[in-house]
Amino acid sequence: MSNDIPDPGCGHSLDELEEYLRTGQSTAEQHYERCPECQAGLAGLRALHRLTGELAAADTEQAGSADEPWLQSILGNLRLEMRSGRSIPLSGEDPEDSFAQTEGSLVALIRSTGDDVAGATIGKCRLHGNITEPGGEVRIEVNVTAFFGYPLPAMVESLRTRIADTVRTQTELNLTDVDVSVTDVHERVGGDPRGEVNE
Amino acid sequence: MTAPARPRLNLNDAHDSFLVERAADGDVASFEAIARRYGPLMRGYARRLTGSAADADDAVQETLLQAWNQLGDLQDGAAVKPWLMRICGRKSIDLIRKRRPVDDLDDVEPPDPAPGPERAVEQGSQMQSLVAALRKLPDEQRQCWVLKEMGGQSYEDIAETLEISTDSVRGRLSRARTTLMKEMEDWR
Repeated sequence: MSNDIPDPGCGHSLDELEEYLRTGQSTAEQHYERCPECQAGLAGLRALHRLTGELAAADTEQAGSADEPWLQSILGNLRLEMRSGRSIPLSGEDPEDSFAQTEGSLVALIRSTGDDVAGATIGKCRLHGNITEPGGEVRIEVNVTAFFGYPLPAMVESLRTRIADTVRTQTELNLTDVDVSVTDVHERVGGDPRGEVNE
Repeated sequence: MTAPARPRLNLNDAHDSFLVERAADGDVASFEAIARRYGPLMRGYARRLTGSAADADDAVQETLLQAWNQLGDLQDGAAVKPWLMRICGRKSIDLIRKRRPVDDLDDVEPPDPAPGPERAVEQGSQMQSLVAALRKLPDEQRQCWVLKEMGGQSYEDIAETLEISTDSVRGRLSRARTTLMKEMEDWR
């Protein structure tokens, strides 16, 4: 490889070598393997990629932790923008008064209820129906992620019962059904999800 | 809306696809877990692209706002990281465009990364050399290089972000690579 021109001096270009590195194949593969100039070029490209990756990692490190004020400040600004969903009417003692709860708060309540069931974590949670009408019918659809090691039928039944109780207690909606789907069974990223539970 | 108590699951341990599903459904706590997971990555990337700490934080905020509003369009929740990086790259370039007439990019280069003690001697100096070489590149080439090699974006994404053709992207990347390889010859 010349000191002045990074292209190997054998008729093949740096772009070709880059393409070969990226795709892992080339019609000139046999040449690349034998040619000292191309080997040097490939080694240089690999070093450049490695160094660029290291710089990206250093940039991330330099950016600081997610727990620092900069991100809290950004998230604080965004909270104002985050929607809270539809408005669910509640009746007061005086018909002149107007009360309501937000869809977001009810979904959060359902999630919290479901998450309290051992081994379950609620994923998608949708309220189907015309919930903005007083006493409107609602069907609740929840997806649940189950941690490995918990019996599913008992978990699903417990979820249905507890979520139904919560909705009947906390809202004036007419609950028609709670659909529970176990969409995933997995282990937690950060360690053994079963804790003290034995197989 | 605050995060309800979750005795059994720390959201910071949950998979991306799981958090995306919840966040797309309006769960702020799950969205904030995504923001914490990729916030520093986006901030470092935006600083490298814009050369400005203030612009970088603006870019991250605009990225997260757009992400919150469009999360429902993301088909594959597991792909949230490259999706965020693509938005962040675009927001950073938009900010550079807005600012370009008044500021000189080279005057506001972010502080160079401080390498750990174990790699300070050899790799640290190579990294400093790469930083210096990147700084010397024309803006248009440096942006292409950072979007591609540090942001992992495709030729098509870069072309769309920079509003140029994919052939132009290839050309700029090729020239940047040639220059950087030349410079690197001297470090090795």
